[in-house]
Amino acid sequence: MAKLVIQGRNRLKGSVRIGGSKNSSVAIIPAVLLGDGQSTLENVPAIRDVQVFAQILQDLGALVSLNENTMTISPNGFSSHVAPYDLVRKLRASYYLMGVLLAKFGRAEVGLPGGCDIGPRPIDQHLKGFRALGAEVSVEGGVVRLGARKLEGAPIYLDIPSVGATINIMLAACMAEGTTLIENAAKEPHVVDLANCLNSMGARIHGAGTDIIRVKGVKALKSTCHSVIPDNIEAATYMMAAVATGGDVEVHGVITKHLEPVIAKLREAGAETEENGDYVRVIGPERPDPVNVKTLPYPGFPTDAQQPLTAMLSRARGVSVIQESVFENRFGYISELVKMGANIKVQGKTAVVEGTSRLVGSPVRATDLRAGASLMVAGLSAEGTTEVYGLEIIERGYESVVDKLTALGADVQRVEDG
Amino acid sequence: MAEFEETRFFQVKTEKENKTREIILKVYQALKEKGHNPVSQIAGYLLSGDPTYITSHANARSLVRKVERDEILEELIRVYVEQYE
Repeated sequence: MAKLVIQGRNRLKGSVRIGGSKNSSVAIIPAVLLGDGQSTLENVPAIRDVQVFAQILQDLGALVSLNENTMTISPNGFSSHVAPYDLVRKLRASYYLMGVLLAKFGRAEVGLPGGCDIGPRPIDQHLKGFRALGAEVSVEGGVVRLGARKLEGAPIYLDIPSVGATINIMLAACMAEGTTLIENAAKEPHVVDLANCLNSMGARIHGAGTDIIRVKGVKALKSTCHSVIPDNIEAATYMMAAVATGGDVEVHGVITKHLEPVIAKLREAGAETEENGDYVRVIGPERPDPVNVKTLPYPGFPTDAQQPLTAMLSRARGVSVIQESVFENRFGYISELVKMGANIKVQGKTAVVEGTSRLVGSPVRATDLRAGASLMVAGLSAEGTTEVYGLEIIERGYESVVDKLTALGADVQRVEDG
Repeated sequence: MAEFEETRFFQVKTEKENKTREIILKVYQALKEKGHNPVSQIAGYLLSGDPTYITSHANARSLVRKVERDEILEELIRVYVEQYE
């Protein structure tokens, strides 16, 4: 185990290049197994979730090589429809193997997914989609078994715009017979990125990024070379860290459109922002103004950015209200922020943050990825030393986090803990 | 000089139309160079508003945001109608 040791109150200053999107990568990496040859993925972030997925693919028989931010994946040798349970439970996104294995082999056995403990995230919408396409579905002993003689396109209405279900149905449907219509689909950027990747392999997916996606099944897919889009949550985290420390930071290599809700809230908090091409500059005030936020599916304020925002608002000049409407249990980290002097009360899915002039460094524990990001932002703005235990959890989604923060002038160290 | 004796109507393209057209063509070319189906990708962008559809190659992703989507659509419809009316 490792911890992140932060000496706080350094104003972050300078520029940081944002890596590839974690959420896109974990959908696209298994997707290219559907091609008929070796595919190359560029701008893949060097994070733990990617490494775990690479291992899962190797266990399934695929040839995988990862060189810095470029990954090559060859489906030659990919022959097993059974995903390795011990690895699958480490990674929530491993459930995308259901759609891939079902499309490729007409059957799949995948353990129920692991990942961050942020409340129940049922996969009923995924299973509803697979059934609509003609698959038989059973869930026994924590394993999902899928089988279909052939998959046939169908209209599928999602009860909620689930990103995971939208992606899994796209994967399963792209080689089905006929047309699949996904209604009330998720519109997140990584849904579009996956559609782009599959289309470059010969799929015929239209409407990604809108609430109706049409997938016309094709007989086969070819290999591709695809560049993953930048990670809007990584960018949002550095932007919030800049505001929390009264800093002046440019995040480079981003798609500014994907950051619109974040930029809007940072401006409300008194930050100055400047957008140009593929970068955003954020200049933080001495202390942020309070803001009210409700998390929503894209293009609303992203649930993954709620935690670092709450940390930032812990030092605001007034009371902020944060409503979490996407997941059930995303305030687990707040007890750790309170240890650092934050004044936050949680009732159900609402957190009331009464800003305080100072946070104080403390030993805290990252219970999930974005909770870790929150504690990191809090530690950067706190007086004294903060030790964030569970750095590996942060490294699941943040590439070279120590190096990037150090380059921005933060006093941070990775320390092995026992 | 007889050919200039009749009154003629000259349509001068506005700067905005020229800029929009130039951007559409540059974005089309960048998508083509990267092996995408440019028509499908641009249609996806116009429908969704998500620049993920547009490659970052040749700065196309930044370029496409220099004009509003409705201006791109207007230019496409105007040129189409001029062609087939």
